[in-house]
Amino acid sequence: MAEIGKVRIRIPSNIKRGDVVRVRSLVIHPMEIVQRRDGKPVDKNYLFIHKVMVEYNGREILQADTTQSISENPFFSFTFKPTEPGMLRITFLDTHGGKYEGTAEIKFT
Amino acid sequence: MLRPGTVFGGGIVFAALLSAACAQTDKASTAGLPPAPWISRAIPEGKGEVKTQPDGKKMQVRYKRAPFAGVPQDWSDYRTYAYDDTRPAPPVSKAPMTQVKGDPARGRRLFLSRAQGPCTGCHLIPGADVWPAGNIGPDLSTYGDRNLPDEFIFTQLYDSRNFFPHTTMPPWGTTGVFKPEELVHIVAFLKTLKGPVPPEKDPDRNPDTRAKPVGFGDNLDPTNNPAVLLAEGAMAVWSKKGPAGKACADCHAGGPEKSMKEAATRYPKYVKAYQRVMSIEDFLTVHAPETTGLQMLSQSADNLNMTMLVKMQSNGMPLKVDVTSPEAKGAYERGRASFFKRVGQRNHACADCHTKGAGRGSDKFLGGRLLADVEVGLTKHFPLWRTSQGQVWDMRKRMQWCMTPLGMNMLPADAVEYAELELYLTAFDNGKEMSVPGIRH
Repeated sequence: MAEIGKVRIRIPSNIKRGDVVRVRSLVIHPMEIVQRRDGKPVDKNYLFIHKVMVEYNGREILQADTTQSISENPFFSFTFKPTEPGMLRITFLDTHGGKYEGTAEIKFT
Repeated sequence: MLRPGTVFGGGIVFAALLSAACAQTDKASTAGLPPAPWISRAIPEGKGEVKTQPDGKKMQVRYKRAPFAGVPQDWSDYRTYAYDDTRPAPPVSKAPMTQVKGDPARGRRLFLSRAQGPCTGCHLIPGADVWPAGNIGPDLSTYGDRNLPDEFIFTQLYDSRNFFPHTTMPPWGTTGVFKPEELVHIVAFLKTLKGPVPPEKDPDRNPDTRAKPVGFGDNLDPTNNPAVLLAEGAMAVWSKKGPAGKACADCHAGGPEKSMKEAATRYPKYVKAYQRVMSIEDFLTVHAPETTGLQMLSQSADNLNMTMLVKMQSNGMPLKVDVTSPEAKGAYERGRASFFKRVGQRNHACADCHTKGAGRGSDKFLGGRLLADVEVGLTKHFPLWRTSQGQVWDMRKRMQWCMTPLGMNMLPADAVEYAELELYLTAFDNGKEMSVPGIRH
């Protein structure tokens, strides 16, 4: 797998003022799953993404708490309506203190 | 596209030329001759080995995952694409109509039986429960109105080649898929199919009105196609030093972007050092151990991911495989002969499904699947992500799977026969842009 923490963001190439924009984002992450020994879950600090934060022009527009039940290399998609051009920033936090960021610029055509 | 008659004629001319060439050339020239046997460098499940079980039954070793795991039969009795397999097609045969009374209800069940045909994969009949519904063969919804004699329909089912020598229809009786008694029931059922046909309730059931699949969006978008991520993961192997102390990166300077640019547009190609046609996958199986010391067996994850990484550097560039040099031309002709060779229990050829024409499959539905046309291009997006399997498949696994359910034991993934067939198919893509990894159902 490619390097951990690489964030990809895809937005439509053509955005007009007033459009609802669908953002597709993906982060490279192993998203460790719970191990079991003798039928019991092993107690340890599992490595997975537990928080997703989205900011637009510095203003938080989405925050999500996630669990290890999400797949490896998790994919998140959401929509929002930008009222002005700006910078979209998506931040992923994992349980081992990792912080992975990706940005995409939204321009109106 | 050539009619079957022309194809057989061409084959005879080609064979004559081949023997003439053998008679007069010196030993140094190997052009036009089938390549020497190749020892497979595929993972154990991909080698196509046939093992004898403790109970004496033969069984082919296949991939552990579906769909391969769902085919338990061994097809050693039927001929394959292997160049040393000179067995003829099952001879045309006839059988007297069994003196049992045909039961239409039983015949309908047999017509729909997925374990045997299913007949409905190619022929449409009325009924909301009829699935898979394909349209390669004639629509039989009103077949009973033709008032054909029972004996004729029976022989037509038993071995259609009695009337149509180049038919696509498998010889159901000759190869024993259906017993004569079962065919009598099917005859009785077909006689009950009379018009008028009730109106179709579900347009998606009927292959003639069914919407064609639209694909899965941008195949090069990593948020859309997981295979892109797997290919990028091969960068770790690219820069990893093998047991020989070298990495790919040490010889191929500038990263794959620079050193592999356009390289894949020439594959499959005849590689002199190994005296055979090779795809990127085949080449890696020998090139990686010889240089870095790392094993890259055909169908292993490393092999597939590295192949995608290399091929991605040629995306958007037109394919230009060589089919004119003497060695490549010979290979191309053999690949073409394989494309039209009838193999397996069903006695099918690639051409049955992937060329245009009456009774041919391209752009028609085989059950629920739309079959692709060889001229549109079957190879330029391989290896690809299969949404139905959740896996990357290369061209070879695709070929291995094509014939397995139709009654042919698969050849090794890196077999010369498959390589030359792939060369023939890729030649149709010459001039078309590569787009790897693709994404298909």
